[in-house]
Amino acid sequence: MYRMLKKFFRFCGETERKQFSLSISLSVFNALFVAMRIPAVYVVIKAILEGNLSEREAYEAIGIIIASILLQTAITMKTTMLQTRAGYNTASLKRMEIAEHLRYVPMGYFNNEGLGKVTSIATNTMESFSGMATRCVMMISKGIITTAVVVCSMFFFDVRIASVALITMVIYLLGTELMIRMESSDADGFTKAQDVMVARILEYVRGIAEIRNFNLFGKSITNVDESIDRFARYSTGMETTYEIMMFFLNVLNKLSGVVMTLLSILFYLKGSMSLVYAVMMIICSFMIFESLDMVGAFNGLTRAIENCIDKANEALSAPTMKIEGEELSPGEMTLAMKEVEFSYDEKKIIDRVSFEIAEKTQTAFVGPSGSGKTTLTQLLARFWDVDAGSVTLGGVDVRNYSYDSLMKNFAFVFQNVYLFNDTVENNIRFGKPNASREEVMEAAKKACCHDFIMELPDGYDTVIGEGGATLSGGERQRISIARAIMKDAPVIILDEATANVDPENEQKLMEAVDALTKNKTIIMIAHRLKTVRNADQILVVDKGRIAERGTHDELLRKDGIYKSFVTERSKAATWKLGRG
Amino acid sequence: MKKEQNSRQNTATMQSVLNRNSFHWLWHFTEGKRGTYLLSIILALLGVACMLLVYVCLAALIRELIGGNRDMDFYVQRGTQIGILWILRYVFHGLSTYSSHSATFGLIGNGRKLMLKKLNTMPLGAVQDHSSGEYKNIICDRIEQVEPTLAHVTPEFTANIIGAIAMFIYMMNIDWRVGLWQLICIPAGFIAFSIMMVSTPKYYPATIEKTKALNAVAVEYIGGIEVIKAFGQSKTSYGKFVKAAKEGADCFIDWMKKENFWQNFGMACFPATLLGLLPSGVIYCLNGSLDPANLIVLIILSFGTVAPLVTVFTYMDDISKVGEIISDMADVMDEADLKRPETSRQLPKDHGITLNNVHFTYKDKEVLHGISMELKSGTVNALVGPSGSGKSTIARLIASLWDVNDGEIMIGGVNVKDMSLEEYNRHVAYVSQENYLFDQTVMDNIRMGREGATDEEVIAAAKACGCHDFIMSLEKGYQTICGGSGGHLSGGERQRISIARAMLKDAPIVILDEATSYTDPESEAVIQSALSRLTAGKTLIVIAHRLSTIADADRIFLIHDGKVEAQGTQEELLTTSPLYRSMWESHVSARKEEA
Repeated sequence: MYRMLKKFFRFCGETERKQFSLSISLSVFNALFVAMRIPAVYVVIKAILEGNLSEREAYEAIGIIIASILLQTAITMKTTMLQTRAGYNTASLKRMEIAEHLRYVPMGYFNNEGLGKVTSIATNTMESFSGMATRCVMMISKGIITTAVVVCSMFFFDVRIASVALITMVIYLLGTELMIRMESSDADGFTKAQDVMVARILEYVRGIAEIRNFNLFGKSITNVDESIDRFARYSTGMETTYEIMMFFLNVLNKLSGVVMTLLSILFYLKGSMSLVYAVMMIICSFMIFESLDMVGAFNGLTRAIENCIDKANEALSAPTMKIEGEELSPGEMTLAMKEVEFSYDEKKIIDRVSFEIAEKTQTAFVGPSGSGKTTLTQLLARFWDVDAGSVTLGGVDVRNYSYDSLMKNFAFVFQNVYLFNDTVENNIRFGKPNASREEVMEAAKKACCHDFIMELPDGYDTVIGEGGATLSGGERQRISIARAIMKDAPVIILDEATANVDPENEQKLMEAVDALTKNKTIIMIAHRLKTVRNADQILVVDKGRIAERGTHDELLRKDGIYKSFVTERSKAATWKLGRG
Repeated sequence: MKKEQNSRQNTATMQSVLNRNSFHWLWHFTEGKRGTYLLSIILALLGVACMLLVYVCLAALIRELIGGNRDMDFYVQRGTQIGILWILRYVFHGLSTYSSHSATFGLIGNGRKLMLKKLNTMPLGAVQDHSSGEYKNIICDRIEQVEPTLAHVTPEFTANIIGAIAMFIYMMNIDWRVGLWQLICIPAGFIAFSIMMVSTPKYYPATIEKTKALNAVAVEYIGGIEVIKAFGQSKTSYGKFVKAAKEGADCFIDWMKKENFWQNFGMACFPATLLGLLPSGVIYCLNGSLDPANLIVLIILSFGTVAPLVTVFTYMDDISKVGEIISDMADVMDEADLKRPETSRQLPKDHGITLNNVHFTYKDKEVLHGISMELKSGTVNALVGPSGSGKSTIARLIASLWDVNDGEIMIGGVNVKDMSLEEYNRHVAYVSQENYLFDQTVMDNIRMGREGATDEEVIAAAKACGCHDFIMSLEKGYQTICGGSGGHLSGGERQRISIARAMLKDAPIVILDEATSYTDPESEAVIQSALSRLTAGKTLIVIAHRLSTIADADRIFLIHDGKVEAQGTQEELLTTSPLYRSMWESHVSARKEEA
């Protein structure tokens, strides 16, 4: 619990930490105001026991209770505001921090799954942080402080009874800590059971088509029920530990109350305490640990809160690279790699690769999947930083450019296209924010988008995506090409589309690519023989090295990897399904 | 803080809890756990009884003390009784909470199993309308969140509500007038909360809207970060994000500012039972109608009446959250099942397929308008047409991903709706681009094609699909674990293993749904030869983007706007159908330098 509190306050920003602390300090006064009902009771009981009860006591009691209500209201208004501000602002600052951090993370770092995770952290996790975590931390801190204050003030009335209360409080708090420890010793088996269950459910869901296709439902290979039951058992087990601890803590509080009651009576009988005090102490013994109960109740959420904080910190721990550099614009566009090495996950992907790409030429990367050709194109545009060697544009190391000024030189066309949930026009304009509508339309026409855009319900103002128009894969591709045309960058990096394109789309797509690449430096991952054949330079990549290089004719003569690539491709292109 | 806010949303969300369907499913999920819940309630009641007895003992103790009893032994005796009663109270409470938890974990398990089972019986197409992430979210994560509430509601509600009521009755028994006077704080609290609620309709929608906007901006910014960076727009987009994040926080803060006073005033009022109790008690003591010792007892008892009700109040927002989750689960459970009998009413004669006047509506839009087709047993049939024509839908209907809305699909003269899914699956193999491999060995993955196949048969299928060599080159050969979604293998390798699996199944009807557009173009040629072997001698239905692939088909069906526009061989269609001719020409021109 204390580790969690420490983590929580370290996680908050400077201002928010102060607001939280102030709110907690003020809650001491709140505790005192809540405790004002004790004097109200005292006034009445004292009069009863001393036999001089009058209407006066009724008025006094009303006065004290009303004052208590108003003062409580005033102070909680202040603390609620502090807490609300601090809670929501912390969440919002963390969101910004994550967003800021992403700007510095190498572009190649995130796959879709990773990005999905970060998104969920920035939205869901932070949402539950601002609500659940804040409330819980405040309740725990306030509970501890309130009890401490009440116990301390008891010392003014009777040191002996107060000592019993103090000891109880200390044992209780140690107990909550022990509870967390015991829980985390159970947590391993629990987490494992959970992981197994999640993995099995995921596998079932992802493989549902096969499960049905091959009649596998209920067969052991896809049996998730057992893992679900096991997880339920572990969950119950965790809960049992928790309940047993809570039992002891609750009983501790109540028995301590009984001890305080009996002691008060004993002291009264022995003559060292007045009857009024004794009765008051008995009443107090029933209320004093109310706040501690709160601490115990919220203690169970400790792990969930730590989890929230850890997740956010994990998102912030992704490696970064330096993106500030000089605002450079290269005089000429020669791209070169010199002795480049690059590893990912301790595995060498690129091994001492050197090549040069002259301005306005066409270079094709060819090679088996996993050979490293995609990584090479990514390194050229600094999606990653190289481990050794250098990548230069116009003779200057790409790391010396500021990221934005480097990116001005590149346009990308990838197979998976990301379009924003915005109008078609704004999506295309993203390539050049200050472009006029005419420019947008011109780019769309070049990319063969204009016709289908005009057929959309609101033309260029149609919103794409959720709640808007759904476009086919080929159409999305062409809009992304229009966006790239808009940008008009001198170097085009292109991953040639192969899948999911109908014949009529395919031809338009090729026209669009032609419009984009006119008079540019073209670097492509090529799958089509036609494009490879026209390339000025073909780089055949195999196992992270350049295995062969040259033009189509030169390479064909070599009778190597490239030759067999060409043979396979022509065979594939003319394949026919059918009789014989 | 959050809980009070949410209590304002209760009225709206409570309705979703009471929504009959959600409730129906919640009841269904408790199957086999109801006894445990009942036990939990009984135990909680026993706990309440013990607590009540504590107060009875305490009252007696106080009366004696004030009455002048100076026998310490008596007090020790009473004290011991109270101590034992407290222990019993928490024993019962703990056992109640334990049973309620174990029942709730069982309920969650039931919910998970039932949802998974549902995925096996509802139309596969409907399953695939959602991503696996969405299913994981509801089946693994969200359902788990019902636990704290459902598990605590039973014991806590019983203990707090029944406890408060019992305590109240006990107080009424001592003096009904004072018992009623103490409740004066409740209307005061309610008035404060009602005033607070007045501004809810104004602020609540704003918070929902801003939170949604914030989430949307976050999704766009993070999901689109590559594009944003590639276009050098990270500063601008970051600015948008910052604005949304600030607004998302501010709307809650503004709301809180507005309601701050009434909320906190209300929260201070509710538990202030002494406000009415003390003065009324004093007055009745003065006029002699109340024994002062009883007043002291009443004071102590009053701590146990309203305060527990406030605790119950804090559960309300959590209950509404549970309502939302259950209603999400109900959305899955309410999907219509595929209409297939448990056992087949009739068995197919051969492996021809007939479609009679098939209509199909997808998301309220009719996409197939009366399709009739005849696919003869053992022939190669291709479906072609512009994108959005409905050709994939036809293949998916034949593959039983959906049920037709009207008309019928017959296999070997038998309506598929008269065949059990199991029987149907023995006849049809459906091969798409994405074929999932399980986290098992290569051997077991291929063996899934036919239960009980020997290792030799598996290897023979692998050899026929050109997989054997690369499998042998893997570190552990056929014993290599494929990893979730076949992580260690390339796309082409995975596809070939799944083809080997389909081959082992040896179904007489094969549907290739875009299986020829590859995620891994480098291994296209090997995959093609595997497909050739898989489909040899079968009734084949194929959708191919590359028209040359299907040029030799026995029959080509040209689908356009949800209808069969033309059918015949390649030569026939080239002469009879202008649409087919133009498609063929654009295909040829796109590919002219390819070979």
